[in-house]
Amino acid sequence: MPSARSERRPLPIPFWRRARRIFLLATIACLVPAGISWMGAMSQAHNVGLGVSSVEWLRQNGGGPIVTQIENWYYTLTAPSKGGPALSALPQVGVASSEGGGGKTAKAYRPPKVVPLIHPALPGEGVWKKAAAGAGPRPPVLVTTFRSDPEYPQFVAGVAWIDSARTELAYVPGLAEPPPPLAHRGSGEVPEGKRGRLVATFNGGFPLETSNAGLIYRGKVVEAMVDGVATVVEYRDGRIDIVKWESGASAPANVWFAKQNLPPIINNGKLNPNLSDGPEWGETVNNAVRVWRSGIGIDSRGNLLYAAANYQTVESLAKILQRAGAVRALELDINEDWTSFISYRHPGAVQPSNLLPEMFRPAERYLTPDERDFFALYLRPGQKW
Amino acid sequence: MVRRLPREITPGAAARRTLLADCLIALVLALAAIALAAGIGVVGFAALLVLLVLVLWIAVEAGVRRVLRRRRRSAPPVRRRGRRAQVEDETGLDPLREEPTADQPR
Repeated sequence: MPSARSERRPLPIPFWRRARRIFLLATIACLVPAGISWMGAMSQAHNVGLGVSSVEWLRQNGGGPIVTQIENWYYTLTAPSKGGPALSALPQVGVASSEGGGGKTAKAYRPPKVVPLIHPALPGEGVWKKAAAGAGPRPPVLVTTFRSDPEYPQFVAGVAWIDSARTELAYVPGLAEPPPPLAHRGSGEVPEGKRGRLVATFNGGFPLETSNAGLIYRGKVVEAMVDGVATVVEYRDGRIDIVKWESGASAPANVWFAKQNLPPIINNGKLNPNLSDGPEWGETVNNAVRVWRSGIGIDSRGNLLYAAANYQTVESLAKILQRAGAVRALELDINEDWTSFISYRHPGAVQPSNLLPEMFRPAERYLTPDERDFFALYLRPGQKW
Repeated sequence: MVRRLPREITPGAAARRTLLADCLIALVLALAAIALAAGIGVVGFAALLVLLVLVLWIAVEAGVRRVLRRRRRSAPPVRRRGRRAQVEDETGLDPLREEPTADQPR
């Protein structure tokens, strides 16, 4: 006689339900190592929110193309409209009008006023002002603002001019960028002992994994240099230049640091004719997408120029720098979380001030550890404030 | 000597055996995904999206099942009547106790 147990057949699970269960279990199994990696990254020191840190974690762990695509969609959907009501005043920058307004004085050179694009010009538009209170007749840093695009009359560009004869540029690694390992990384902030001579700080370029470019730090190659890429170079004699790199993958003997970022946007005084998209522009939003952008250039006398503005394309950023007098220039970091130019009104890094009031990050940014690399400008030894 | 799994097992044991097999298949799928993906970030991102879809699906299905169960409980019960009751309805006579008259159908 067959047993009652053998007579009871288990009900078969429908195939689709079993497949769903398998996918659910596989998903949970995938989330475990991903979650461990994410939590490890979030447990490190950050000075940005959880959302931005999570996006950076995704970017650093193979998700760069996903982040870039989502950013493209988002910025395209939120693209600004042309036109709009005219501005009646520009944001207040600097502390006083630079005397002379342009041309050569008896001893010191002053950059010429930036000719406004939109007429009539607003009060102070394109006029250079001292960034530091109490700066003498040769301020190391001058700042100005102007409306950079007649089709978008509400957008204002901020530009800083830096006297290279009186200042020295330093490359400062962040806590996470360049990625480890890195010898002599430091604390990711302006060293305390150097703040007495600090005149300005500003953001670096794209992270190495998205810039497809190289880095030399303290004379040693951190990431292989790439020919044809725009490079900020400091030589061992203290001279600064912006060049289109043609010195191969290794570190020349006379180079102290060299930070590369994308092809030049201005070379020999002219805009790069190929400012459209392509793999040479790195893993980033499309060049025609309007976002916060920053860039650095050099004028014909070897003085540095920094520019930043919201809702810019690569081409419009290049035009801003060209208008300010740059003969060679490269794009630096983009997006509101990463663009910063901070000047210090008084010695000792006192009263930091953003170049543009609408810059997202606080003016104290580089006085505390930061994840990303940046540049610091100091008065040269022997120079007075 | 190869020992085979018993063929006659309880429904509970069969269900547990199926679950074990599904777990192993899921583990293989997860390892393949981690090995083939561009990075653990991609794996986590995709897994999160898939988890969201699956959880929504399960939640919707559970919700639909709950609504149907409530409807079945609130509907009037269907009386199931046997043959004897049906004949009684038609003839008015209990077929087991009374004989039909000449003018009543058998």
